[in-house]
Parts: sequence; C-alpha cells; structure tokens
Amino acid sequence: MRIEKCWFCSSTIYPGHGIQFVRNDAKIFRFCRSKCHKNFKMKRNPRKVKWTKAYRRLHGKDMTQDSTFEFERKRNRPERYDRNLTENTLKAIKTIDKVRSRREAKHIEKRKKGKKAQVMREAVKELEQSISLVKAPSVLKEDPSLTLPKIKVKVSQAQAENQPMEE
Amino acid sequence: MAAGLVSKWSRVGCSLLAGHCNSFSGLLSASHELGFNNFLSQQQRTFIQMRTVLKVVDNSGAKKVMCIQALKGKKGARLGDTIVASVKEAHPNGKVKKGKVVYGVVVRAAMQRGRCDGSEVKFDDNAVVLVDKQGQPIGTRVFGPVPHELRKKKHIKILTLAKHVA
Repeated sequence: MRIEKCWFCSSTIYPGHGIQFVRNDAKIFRFCRSKCHKNFKMKRNPRKVKWTKAYRRLHGKDMTQDSTFEFERKRNRPERYDRNLTENTLKAIKTIDKVRSRREAKHIEKRKKGKKAQVMREAVKELEQSISLVKAPSVLKEDPSLTLPKIKVKVSQAQAENQPMEE
Repeated sequence: MAAGLVSKWSRVGCSLLAGHCNSFSGLLSASHELGFNNFLSQQQRTFIQMRTVLKVVDNSGAKKVMCIQALKGKKGARLGDTIVASVKEAHPNGKVKKGKVVYGVVVRAAMQRGRCDGSEVKFDDNAVVLVDKQGQPIGTRVFGPVPHELRKKKHIKILTLAKHVA
C-alpha cells in the first residue's frame, strides 16, 4: 500500500480513491478526484491553474524548501517489519506534520504582513481627498466643528499636524 | 459538431443504453449548451464488443483487428479478457494474414477497470495481443505498457514479454 500524490493538484491519494491513467509511453498519471482528471483531459497546465500546489509553489505563495519535506521522499527499498520502528515512525509522522504545518502557516503570515503602512497611507489620502462624498466642502468650511477628529498617523507626521490646524 | 456527436456515440450499442449510459441522454441534451471542449472531456468509454477495432501490439504480423466476439461477458470484453477477432490490416510478411480469425487478449482498454484496492486504471487506447487457442502468445515481443491484471488471468507469458507492467 502506498499513499500517492495527485499529478494535478499534488494532494494525497489514499487507497481506494481516484483514477490512474497509463499513457502509451508507460507514464502513469494519478488523480485524486474527477476534478483533477477532467482538468487533465482539458490539457490544462497545473502550473497555471491557481488552486493547485504546483502554481502556489511556483509563485511563492507556499513554502518550497524545507527540511520537513525530506521525510516525505519516495523510498523504494522495502523495510523489514519491526514493531518498534513502526511505532516510532507513526509518532514521528505526527510531530513532523505539526512542525510542517506550523512553518507553512508562518510563511503565509510573513507573506501577507508588510502591507500595513501602505494601507494606512492610502486610507489617509482617500479620507482627505474624498471627504466631499460624505459632506459638502462648503459646509465644512463654514462650520469647523464638523471636520473630522484628529487621525493619528504614524507614517506621515505632516498629516497629523494638518488635522489640529483645521479644527 | 453534429457529425462528431453521431460518430462518437454510434459506438455505444443500443443494448448498453440501459446499463451504462444513464447519463447519455442527459449529456446529449446538455452538449449544445457546453462548449466543444467540455463535450470532448465527457467521452464515455465502454466495453470492447463486436466491430470494435483494436490495435495489435505484438510482432505477430497483424496491425489492426476487429472484434467478432467477446468470450465471457454479456456486454463486452474488458481489460484482461480474451476476444475472437478478424485481422483487418497486417504487415505484408507476418505470421498472420489479413482475413484470418484469431484469438486475442485485451492488454489495454480505454474503459477504466477497478482494482482490488479500490482504485481504477485506464489506458489511452484499445490494444490486443494475439494468442492461440491455448492462450500462448503468437508473437515474441509485446510493445507498450500492460496491466498486471493479466497475472490473475494466467497470461504470465505476456507479462514476461512486456517491457513495462503498469
């Protein structure tokens, strides 16, 4: 028994699932479900289909190199059955899985991080430019109490000084 | 598009409508809404029956055979079954000549066959290896991959001749 990987989406194929297609050049394609199979028949390139692991790895969305991937390499030598070895392997699989998912989550978190400053800057700019959508500019000029409260912006000190002047 | 439709589905015998092609009428009605691409990917593969042309993948001399009878199986032959066939196309100097009636073992079938572990296998085309009445292959070489379903059907000789066992 062997747990395979889907050729299209790289998910694991457990025994009893999926279809394997043998091409005439003796290359075997395994698919986890008919979605991947149908995409293959449509001749789609998995590196261009957004939800596949191949695309994600290629475009840096998911972790590519890690030592935890070494444990999953395909081994073709059969091991002699040893109860202790099996027990230790099962325990190891659990911990390796935990470590790997933790590292993957961190990778995604790191990728999504550095946007805070840019988002704040854009928000301040939009606020000062498009305030006319909310209140007419003539009204704002007449009654200064209707202006916005002071916005604390760390990035641009100039903006923070402007707000108290308007009030 | 209509001609393509007819030629694709004409291979499906009327006797199979009840069993296999319960999605047949549904597909047919939906096909003019789907694009041509989608229609191609929903091709239903069925059994090997009378008038099915198969490729011969050994060096017995024949190139194409047409199935006359599928021994065993009401609906037709599948991967690993034997068939009776008539040679339609042959190499000029080979052991079998055109028009001869031969037996063959199906080594590649486009219809998926379930394996005992629950998975399914399918090949790219329909191919056959010619055998004699006792089940021994006529040729001495086999080309392309063969499935290991043949082991259960006791066609060990074909497995040994094959370069690749799927």
